[in-house]
Amino acid sequence: MRFFAFIVVCLTGALLLYGTGEFPDWGDPNSPASLHLSNYYIENALNDTGAPNFVTAVVADYRGFDTMFETAVIFCGGLACFLLLRDFREKKDHYYRHIPTGVILHVKDSQKPLTIGKEFGYMDKDWVPPDLIIKTVCRILIPFIQIYAMYVVAHGDYSPGGGFQGGVIFGSSLILLAISYDLKTLVKRVKERVLGIFAAAGVLLYAGIAALCMLMGGNFLDYSKLAPLVPWNSHHNIRAIGMLGVEIGVGIAVMAVMLIIYINIVSEGRHDEGL
Amino acid sequence: MNIIVIVFISFGLLFFLGGAIGIIRMPDFYSRLHPAGKLDTLATLSMVIGLALFNLHHFSLGTLLVSIKLFLIVFFVSLASPTATHTIVDAGMRAGLRHWTKKKQRG
Repeated sequence: MRFFAFIVVCLTGALLLYGTGEFPDWGDPNSPASLHLSNYYIENALNDTGAPNFVTAVVADYRGFDTMFETAVIFCGGLACFLLLRDFREKKDHYYRHIPTGVILHVKDSQKPLTIGKEFGYMDKDWVPPDLIIKTVCRILIPFIQIYAMYVVAHGDYSPGGGFQGGVIFGSSLILLAISYDLKTLVKRVKERVLGIFAAAGVLLYAGIAALCMLMGGNFLDYSKLAPLVPWNSHHNIRAIGMLGVEIGVGIAVMAVMLIIYINIVSEGRHDEGL
Repeated sequence: MNIIVIVFISFGLLFFLGGAIGIIRMPDFYSRLHPAGKLDTLATLSMVIGLALFNLHHFSLGTLLVSIKLFLIVFFVSLASPTATHTIVDAGMRAGLRHWTKKKQRG
């Protein structure tokens, strides 16, 4: 059986390799990809959309539908992670650490965690004493990382960047908080419900802007119809502004989904302990 | 001006070369982290000084802003890189990895 599988894998690989022989050469000016669409994008993207970075113009405007459903796919990824991994059963064993003395209490067979004062800290099997250097440096760095994430989102139509990258950077700044302190610190600050709402709101913002274009009398995702809503804009780059709104939606959704996936995986769905 | 820039950048490249050789040649995990952590601070600093000077050839507010952004890179790298090295060493100690001694040197 394994031999049979090996033969199938080899045959498939050989077929794929055979198929690549038909591809046009790297950078061939006569290849189909560079004959029709690419030239149009390079020549007309700035005039059509007003966005200087035509990668963003292609991704968020010419192929707006594609990006919208990509965002929806990411949302579904977060949803699947939640549905598969989330475990609402309470743990029966709880550990508490008396902070001044370091004594550890192990409470067995209690369904609810005890209410503890400031002298006791929660503890779990992965607990390591948080390092002062790491904590301090991460506290300094996290706000800068978040500002940079917003810069990347906002600069999507001028320079490399955009919603996906910015959202990932923002999410990883919060994951850094969970790594440098512990997971409880993050979960206490960013509630699970808020994350769920953010993930949905990001996709909704994208689809909402697209639907707003339809309400204003254009096609779905036809940003040029949004012009009456932005009367102070005199540069005819209304499509770039629409793209910015869409990118913000993507950023919010990606940030929330990153956190949902991280928290569910490291804590095995219990949201209580982990890295 | 160009000569100063070339001196700074080749100084940085020299440090990067030394660090890269160190990462390959050092005997164990902890001592390999030592050149890896050193590289990022001094070599990056000297290369960025060179690039910032080169960028200031045509002095204007725009190029000055770009140079300041370059120095921000150095600031954050010199903040984050030693911390990352410290964290990795810390994790290695917690995981129980023994450090290298001369007696055990074999193969």
